[in-house]
Amino acid sequence: MDFRLNPDQIELRDAVRDYLTAEHGPEVLRRLDAGNRRGPAVWDGLVAMGLTGILVPAEQGGLGLGLVEAVLVAIELGRANVSEPLADTALVAAPLLRATQQAEIAAGTLKVALAHPVNPWVADLNQAGLVIGGEMTSSPTALDSVDPLRLLFGPGECIATEGLLDRAALIGAAQLIGGGERMLGLATDYANQRSQFGQPIGKFQAIKHHLASVAVKIEFARPLVLRAAHALQQNHARAVLHVSHAKLAATDAAMLAAETAIQVHGAMGYTYEVDLHFWMKRAWALSGAWGDRAFHERRVAEAVLDDRFDIGPSTTFLAE
Amino acid sequence: MNLDYTPEQQSFRTEVREWMAAHVPRAPLETLEGRKGFDQHVAWERALASGNWGMVTWPEAYGGRGLDLIRWLIFEEEYWAAGAPGRANQNGIFLLGPTIMEYGSDEQKARFLTPMARGEVIWAQAWSEPDAGSDMAAIRSRAIRDGDDYVVNGQKTWSSRAAFADWCFGLFRTDPDSSRHHGLSFILLPLDTPGVTVRPIRQLHGETGFAEIFFDNVRVPVANRIAGEGEGWNVAMATAGFERGLMLRSPARFQATAKRLVELYRKHRDSASPAASAAVLQAWMDAEAYALNTYAVAAQVMAGGKIGAEASLNKIFWSEMDRAQHRAAMSLLGAAAELRTLPDGEPNAWLEGYIFSLSGPIYAGSNEIQRNIVAERLLGLPR
Repeated sequence: MDFRLNPDQIELRDAVRDYLTAEHGPEVLRRLDAGNRRGPAVWDGLVAMGLTGILVPAEQGGLGLGLVEAVLVAIELGRANVSEPLADTALVAAPLLRATQQAEIAAGTLKVALAHPVNPWVADLNQAGLVIGGEMTSSPTALDSVDPLRLLFGPGECIATEGLLDRAALIGAAQLIGGGERMLGLATDYANQRSQFGQPIGKFQAIKHHLASVAVKIEFARPLVLRAAHALQQNHARAVLHVSHAKLAATDAAMLAAETAIQVHGAMGYTYEVDLHFWMKRAWALSGAWGDRAFHERRVAEAVLDDRFDIGPSTTFLAE
Repeated sequence: MNLDYTPEQQSFRTEVREWMAAHVPRAPLETLEGRKGFDQHVAWERALASGNWGMVTWPEAYGGRGLDLIRWLIFEEEYWAAGAPGRANQNGIFLLGPTIMEYGSDEQKARFLTPMARGEVIWAQAWSEPDAGSDMAAIRSRAIRDGDDYVVNGQKTWSSRAAFADWCFGLFRTDPDSSRHHGLSFILLPLDTPGVTVRPIRQLHGETGFAEIFFDNVRVPVANRIAGEGEGWNVAMATAGFERGLMLRSPARFQATAKRLVELYRKHRDSASPAASAAVLQAWMDAEAYALNTYAVAAQVMAGGKIGAEASLNKIFWSEMDRAQHRAAMSLLGAAAELRTLPDGEPNAWLEGYIFSLSGPIYAGSNEIQRNIVAERLLGLPR
């Protein structure tokens, strides 16, 4: 029992974070927003980093890593607000596909869109070479998301694919953690810079307390996401419960981070001029995606309230 | 990351489980905040010590088992899963004990630790004063050197269970010309020393475990000082870190409460409001989150990391969770929540717990102070 990242995991996380910090800053988001919302250069860079092959076995040209590593990457994607279909393709779809498709994913030549009855909108259908759980239509109907960088399509007929929803909810939760951390950072930076009444607003206790509450929420959501990844990877009987729990906690943390960050930014936060809005809108979008609050609460309630598992102390890491 | 227990950890779990099954008192004890309940709890401390379970992480030389933090967590899980009582000994074993181990002399370790682990000496803390609560550096109680003794004068207040405890530990101003956090020393003294008066304060729930302590020319040997004269502030800050941090509030306690809350929900399912059932779910989820976070912090500490300002995140979380868990129970009980004894004849422990939970966000440094610490030291906002 050692709930720490191992050195390889830390190295992976840091490499992805450093790359995205250097190559995917807010200026990239602004450029994508002003253009067609997608950038081949960004995708090519992610492929060159090897990120499309994270969950692809080495025989297919991938890195052959597991869901814990996928979650670490997803947290960084959330922190950088990456919108290329990397999460859906590489972190959710890849393990569900055949070897030949996995090889194409690792090589960066196949993008995959995900459909599921719980999640009525399909992201990035227009550039996908394959859709899991649904049909490719020749002229999909585009929908406008509040997230300016999210391209949605649908609704079409779709069928549930085994394992898809939990993986997607987990990766969504991880992105919410990364986004929440970034919003806390943006708000903290702003509170250090912005002066009112002759001092940085971050000196005011009211501002400090808001931001501290966000830090608490994020701190206690992150381990839930890691445990859910571990449980799903190992096929634990409680994996579904853990995923829903993680999604709920990550959603709460990110939503609080978003609302607090806009409050700390004041009227500036209510504009397109500061970067915050990109993360805020992604948090709103991911909060409802892959099972909304009601869906995941129902799943937790079924497991906890209805006596399906022993739920007391000493069951924290229980693998039935 | 490895979230599986080793076979040794699992067999340790079995050992604890079996001992607890054989020894935990069947009938619930009376409240720790009253004399009779306190004595029952002290008897339980001694029963625990007879099995060498008084403080499992302590070195064997002091009555412990020298176990690491993961085994400590496993012990706590089995302890609370078995329905074992709250710890009358907690000020000693979780706060003063680690302080003495870090700052005490060999002689002090030999003198104080074993009786503490065995439940033979029950400790109260003497931190706060009427004008120095959250602003602890404002304390005025003095201990002035006179030969081999200090002569202590002043007043401490809000001292948990001082009404029943044997000894207290606290901060006293040993340099009369000093101010703020300078010139303070960390001193231990028996509450039956001549010149000490303990005046119980009746708390919100009507019990009187809480007390004020008055010192009138109380003589305390200099040997009872932990660390150097004038170094008390740093020692007290370390103690406060233990209090906010890992050990004092083990996650298993909240997981056990969450489980009982779910059982209460099942009894009241038909009358539960949607908000109450959501609160029950949240209470369970938060207890789990707290446990995971503690496992994560324990792993860092075992690898040589130190808990600094992160302890404040912990303190905010558990104290607010505790309050929310009990509030959820009160709302499930509905009109019966106000009764001291429930219609089924059981004492209304939820009401008592709710009242006690209100103190959590205040003691051990109020949550306002904790949020300042998080903002300034973890997030880097200006002081």
